[in-house]
Amino acid sequence: MTTEASGVRASRWYLPYLLLAPGALWLVLFFIVPMFSMLQLSLEDRGFANYTDVITDNGTVIVRTFSYAGAATVAAIVIGYPLAYFIAVRGGRWKNLLLALVVLPFFVTYLVRTLAWKILLFDGGPVVAILQGAGVLGDGEGLLGRDIAVVGALTYNFLPFMVLPIYVSLEKLDRRLLEAGADLYSSPARAFRTITLPLSLPGLFAGTLLTFIPAAGDFVNSELLGSERTTMIGNIIEKNFGKEFFRPELSALSFMLMALILVGVILYARALGTEDLV
Amino acid sequence: MRPNPPIDTRLLSLRAAQRTTRRQFLGRGAAVIGGLALGPTLLAACGGDDDGGTSTAGGTATEGGLEGTSLVILNWPLYIENDDAETSATLEAFTEQTGIKVDYRPEIDGNDSFYTKYEPELSAGRGIGADLVVLTSWMAAQMIEQGFVQELAPGSVPNRSNILPDLADPDFDPGRRYSLPYAIGQAGLAYYPDKVGGEIDDVNVIFDPQFAGKVTILDEMRDSVGLTMLGMGLDPSTGSVADAEAAIAKIGKAREAGQFKRITGNSYTEDLDLGDTWIAMAWSGDIASLRAENEDLAWVIPKQGGMRFVDNMLIPIGARNKAGAEAFMNFLYQPTVAAGLYEAINYVPPVAGAKDAMTPEAQDSPFINPPPTPRLYDFRTLTPEEDERLSRAFAQATQQ
Repeated sequence: MTTEASGVRASRWYLPYLLLAPGALWLVLFFIVPMFSMLQLSLEDRGFANYTDVITDNGTVIVRTFSYAGAATVAAIVIGYPLAYFIAVRGGRWKNLLLALVVLPFFVTYLVRTLAWKILLFDGGPVVAILQGAGVLGDGEGLLGRDIAVVGALTYNFLPFMVLPIYVSLEKLDRRLLEAGADLYSSPARAFRTITLPLSLPGLFAGTLLTFIPAAGDFVNSELLGSERTTMIGNIIEKNFGKEFFRPELSALSFMLMALILVGVILYARALGTEDLV
Repeated sequence: MRPNPPIDTRLLSLRAAQRTTRRQFLGRGAAVIGGLALGPTLLAACGGDDDGGTSTAGGTATEGGLEGTSLVILNWPLYIENDDAETSATLEAFTEQTGIKVDYRPEIDGNDSFYTKYEPELSAGRGIGADLVVLTSWMAAQMIEQGFVQELAPGSVPNRSNILPDLADPDFDPGRRYSLPYAIGQAGLAYYPDKVGGEIDDVNVIFDPQFAGKVTILDEMRDSVGLTMLGMGLDPSTGSVADAEAAIAKIGKAREAGQFKRITGNSYTEDLDLGDTWIAMAWSGDIASLRAENEDLAWVIPKQGGMRFVDNMLIPIGARNKAGAEAFMNFLYQPTVAAGLYEAINYVPPVAGAKDAMTPEAQDSPFINPPPTPRLYDFRTLTPEEDERLSRAFAQATQQ
């Protein structure tokens, strides 16, 4: 009996590794290995000077990229949190329909969605006409090629990634906690602040990552809706990678982007205290 | 289509799809004209082939050995009728005449991206699964220089004598031992006369503050810098690096002042078509397509001159059907064949006599048959060091 049991246990020691293997193999082959070759490339020609050069050359672009990604993330929270809250708490039997509506734009490819914005926002288009009529835009002023077009499109394109995780964490929320709060004379606002918000932090955290990281690496929105005044890091890499002599610097730029995002994520996780939550 | 920056392939296929649609109208008309032109073409081609057979007795391009073989061609989009071997009159006629099946892939979306994609195989001395590729002169120069291109067998392309004289002896390939031009495109200005208040003939309007924010220029250095140099009274075909740097500085300064709406590759056509752009530095093939549906748009080679780019056919190392590729070059260099093709794709044929075989409408087209003046300039072939220096300066001036 005992020997049999320990036999089973012994024969299963490898099980976790077996389960890990496909994912680990995939990541090592297609992530770690290319990373190393990129690291190597980023130190070619002039070594570490590639990094310093790339920062001095692209300072504005780096700052712009993170401002855009940050602005888009904040906008997505401002729009996405109430939306997710409404669906989770008040959605009732419409819940699934409303969620489907959030995801619906994703049935259309990313590029077509973004190009559609171009048709909406171009100088002779409806949005500019309305805004000019309302006096928000002056005569001859447009939207395309400006920060707002790119940030707006980034927000729109990544909004569902914000809404869905927040929805999931709000949906799990135990309403009895809110009732208990009310029984203890808490105002709804205070109950939200002390109960709902902290319990939805894991969703908010996941949503922020899923929005901020792809937004920081994006180049399509700036390419299609922006101009050379809205260049992001992704555009610099995309435009110049074909030139062999640019590659070490561009690899350095890619690494920097990754490092900055990583540091940002760690700081953000610390600030939110989400290590325990996720 | 034109040398453009390496761009997301999804993006490109989307754009290509878009423009194919726009072009279909044009394509159908062209197919009819092409069909008319091809009647005599086929006859001439068959006649010409007998001569070809004798003159290629050396053995490379004789029909017998090639029948049933297949030829893989990598080319730019919109460079053959319908971008499709099945319905392209030119390729159909080629297959009919030579028995060589063509696997035609309109997949080259940029000189740099082509190089990025295939350089590892070529450096390793392996083939890239293609028998014929089409690249712009400066990239053709680089490919030849690096030994990635096979020399054409002497006598394998007898019709090469039909090459336009001024293309016969370029600095990157003296005597055209490795390459033959496929098509000639132009970089000039496209604009809306009703928006800018009349006709334009001066290239310097792109720097006119009156049109600030309504102008787009190209992110292809050789075209934007070349046209700017012409406006400064400098000759891009002979100018020095300092001249080019002066032009880059001028572009950078104008950019900072908000003169340019965008500095971009192929996507300039979208803003232009929508009417957001009033004046665009543009490539002839694009404007020929846009004009098919947008009659308000005008095209001009400025009085100071325009830029010209030549895309060249090359046989990469490792090609399985070199003789087939040579047979294709030979086929294309018959004036009547070229007449049909270039009339359909709206580019200048590099084949002497092709224009005379075209319809009067095509002969009148500035895209196919530009007038002798204003002159079209080639950008001087740059050394790798010059290329790097200018590319860096241009990127710095236009992308930050």
